[in-house]
Amino acid sequence: MLEVLDPGLLSTVQDGGRPDLAHLGVPPGGACDPWGLAAANLLAGNAPNASALEMTVAGPALAVRATCVVALGGADLGARVKEEERPLRPGTAYLLRTGTRLVFEGGSGRGARAYLALAGGIAVPRILGSASTCLAGGFGGIEGRPLRAGDRLVPERPGDLAAAGRSWPADVPLGPPHDPDLATPVHVVPGPHAGRFPPGALEALLGTGWEVDPRSDRTGLRLAGPPLPGAGGGELVSLPMTWGAVQVPPDGRPIVLLADHPTVGGYPVIAVAIRADRPLLGQLRPGDEVRFELTAIDRAQAAARAEQALLGRGVELLGPDEEVEPW
Amino acid sequence: MSAGGDAGAGGRPAIVPFGDGALLVVLGERIDAVLNRRVHVLAAAVRAARSADPRWGAPVPAYASLLVPYDPLAMEQAEANERLGALAASAGEDEAVAEVEGELVEIPVRYGGGDGPDLDEVAARLGLAPEEVIALHAGMTYGVFMLGFAPGFGYLATLPPALVLPRRATPRTRVPVGSVAIAGEQTAVYPVATPGGWHLIGRTDLSVWDPRRDPPALLRPGQRVRFRPVDG
Repeated sequence: MLEVLDPGLLSTVQDGGRPDLAHLGVPPGGACDPWGLAAANLLAGNAPNASALEMTVAGPALAVRATCVVALGGADLGARVKEEERPLRPGTAYLLRTGTRLVFEGGSGRGARAYLALAGGIAVPRILGSASTCLAGGFGGIEGRPLRAGDRLVPERPGDLAAAGRSWPADVPLGPPHDPDLATPVHVVPGPHAGRFPPGALEALLGTGWEVDPRSDRTGLRLAGPPLPGAGGGELVSLPMTWGAVQVPPDGRPIVLLADHPTVGGYPVIAVAIRADRPLLGQLRPGDEVRFELTAIDRAQAAARAEQALLGRGVELLGPDEEVEPW
Repeated sequence: MSAGGDAGAGGRPAIVPFGDGALLVVLGERIDAVLNRRVHVLAAAVRAARSADPRWGAPVPAYASLLVPYDPLAMEQAEANERLGALAASAGEDEAVAEVEGELVEIPVRYGGGDGPDLDEVAARLGLAPEEVIALHAGMTYGVFMLGFAPGFGYLATLPPALVLPRRATPRTRVPVGSVAIAGEQTAVYPVATPGGWHLIGRTDLSVWDPRRDPPALLRPGQRVRFRPVDG
């Protein structure tokens, strides 16, 4: 069991989210980098979508109150066991001893979100079918809010130390299958309103190196750069939105929707980031440069299947016997 | 791109891709009760199809369009498009589109004062007395067109033309739970405390969203809603 000494910038309990409740206005939620969540969970001996801690840029400080096993996925936020001067890297499951502290002291500067998995997942009530924290609704996770000092993270299987020492298989990528540091492009397909923008708008989206704005959060990535020409006519009659939708507000600066996006919106959607690139979107941090590359829907779906097959390989090598749920 | 045209006037709905795992059915681009009923009839048809074929995701209805997610690991876009086109064609002929009287929900509201901090400003901008704004708002029966924006947030329409105002220039960073608000042709009750740009004219104690209740949302599409003024 872990007790929160300092919550870090934004640490929330997340799992696979609530993808089926958008008709009630509930965002899909869940991990912004589903791959990072799955990797941490598989290492800890859990199902890929089990509940884990999502930490953002500056991680927490946690006191180990009972010996347990943890595994990290996603970004390297500089985790170490303070008393033992022992660094903890994504990709290995570690034993933490009572009386020590797990701290995150800043890592490589790459990636925005890290995932901390405990044996069996983090024990919190399931609300509307999920352990995920819904910040907009103030429910799920721990009292519907980010962690704060004094909170306790209790594993679903306390005392299960079986995963200690396990490491990620060498033939499966540990991070998103792309590296933000190499300015790997986010792949998009044309959005439902692409044809309404003036000629050249989609090309301008694709031809610009956008900077991730500090006002980005779990609802979306706000991008800074030369404004795109607008679709005209102001706002649309509100329509459903999806994770990955690239909206263009009247100021011409695109917003890429992430896991906690509002379920409907009125800004025209010029493009939609593909599903296989969700892990990459979830790892972009303020100041990163992001570029977009156009692809076709059949290629996007092939990429989603390839990613799922890779995850299946990870499950085969590490995972529990349960069936893998896609995200 | 064919999403631009209004497909509502008896024409075939436009089906356009919305990413690599969803299709958007566009029936029109207006806030209109008949169009909206057609959206919900189609949503019901997709839910029925989903119970037999789990490759479909849960449909998301809005004013005049429906998002239909599908599992791209199990179904290609061409197949999804073809199957959804057939569903949309038959749902469009459904007699259920004919007007039916939905269940009536009454919402008690304390108008004005600290509960409706924008009432006086709204009245002044509309050239009405605050009492007239209250009488107009509480004098209409509204339809629940969709839920969205925040958990349990029901978009209610249509406001009388005399109450139509654009949103606030600067949204509030926090609107209290239960606030009754107007914007454009729409009115709503804020189900949770959230940032918001609508004009706050009153407040209710009725719980419109409780994630531990079944169903969690008080409002659902197709219902009719009236607001009843009560004393603070």
